[in-house]
Amino acid sequence: MMNKNRIAIVLGLVCLLLSMAITVQINTIKRTSIAGSKKFAQDNLKDEVLRWKEKYEAETRNLANSEKELAKIREDGAKKDTSASAKESQIKLNNNLLGLTDLEGKGIELTIKDDPNVTTENIGIVDDISNHIVHEQDLRAIVNELKNAGAEAISINEQRITTNTSINCIGNVIKIDDEKISSPFVIKAIGFPEIMESALARAGGYLDCIDDYGIVISLKKLEKVKIPKYTGVISSKYIK
Amino acid sequence: MIFIAIIVGSIIGALIGINIPTISYTYSGYLAIAIIAALDSVFGGITSTLKKNFDMKIFLSGFFVNAILAMALTYLGQKLNLDIYLAALVVFVWRMFDNLGTIRRYYVEKITTRKIIAKAEATIKKANEEQK
Repeated sequence: MMNKNRIAIVLGLVCLLLSMAITVQINTIKRTSIAGSKKFAQDNLKDEVLRWKEKYEAETRNLANSEKELAKIREDGAKKDTSASAKESQIKLNNNLLGLTDLEGKGIELTIKDDPNVTTENIGIVDDISNHIVHEQDLRAIVNELKNAGAEAISINEQRITTNTSINCIGNVIKIDDEKISSPFVIKAIGFPEIMESALARAGGYLDCIDDYGIVISLKKLEKVKIPKYTGVISSKYIK
Repeated sequence: MIFIAIIVGSIIGALIGINIPTISYTYSGYLAIAIIAALDSVFGGITSTLKKNFDMKIFLSGFFVNAILAMALTYLGQKLNLDIYLAALVVFVWRMFDNLGTIRRYYVEKITTRKIIAKAEATIKKANEEQK
């Protein structure tokens, strides 16, 4: 009987391990599964993409850690004399402007969405569905308007707008630098909230224009806007 | 007793599994094949318990060595660009069905025997009463 109990305990423990592994596996697959074709031939490609994505994320984390370390070392070095600390604050400012750091400050958050009431079925012959969706030129115009209103840092769907950022249309999504984004677009900007708001929302302003086409707009003034850093690589080949 | 232990173990394991962090996608292929190997070991364990020749050392070593070998084969397959894990999968699932067959037969036979015995006992009882 003693032996039978021991067998039961061992089998129970093994089953514990087994079902634990199964649930972890299920969770992992659920977390990483990406939308797309279920065809078998594309499984390998999907697999590869997921693997690279994971590697990329790990490297990005590493980079962030290294940068943090570097900043700390610089700070320690700058403590010793005043000219160095002035340089240090200059570097900090430049990094903020270049988009190399996560920023925080008061500003606005603007969300714009394609017109939800219009479909290809009910659009009719006279109207064009293209008028009812957010295009890349809308984003460009808004970014321009924000910059004109003194925005110090801007992001669209967590993509930082840097000085070299380009906003392009690639089919049904919009490409900001190398990242693809799609509606709804959340545009965040750090700056003086009232000025930026009035620049966008004034009568005859850009939001007023696209509002007529049924684009859903929500504009909020916030005490604390978080803007992430630029995730790409800043390089220069031809500047001498 | 054994089945209660298995069910309780599975439930606790599932509860733990839901709450611990997931693994990276790169290794999920290895975990999948290890799961199948472990499942095979569990079926093997139940079968041998029913046959009354359960050996703890054989069971535990089988549990771990099978899982490790299956993972190693998967790794080798990836390096050779050949889906070797399919071979391991076929063997494990084959054995699972084999063991399941044994378990099934054991219980079917047990129930049938019980019925036959009950029938025989009833007949004997009847005969005894008629004799009186």
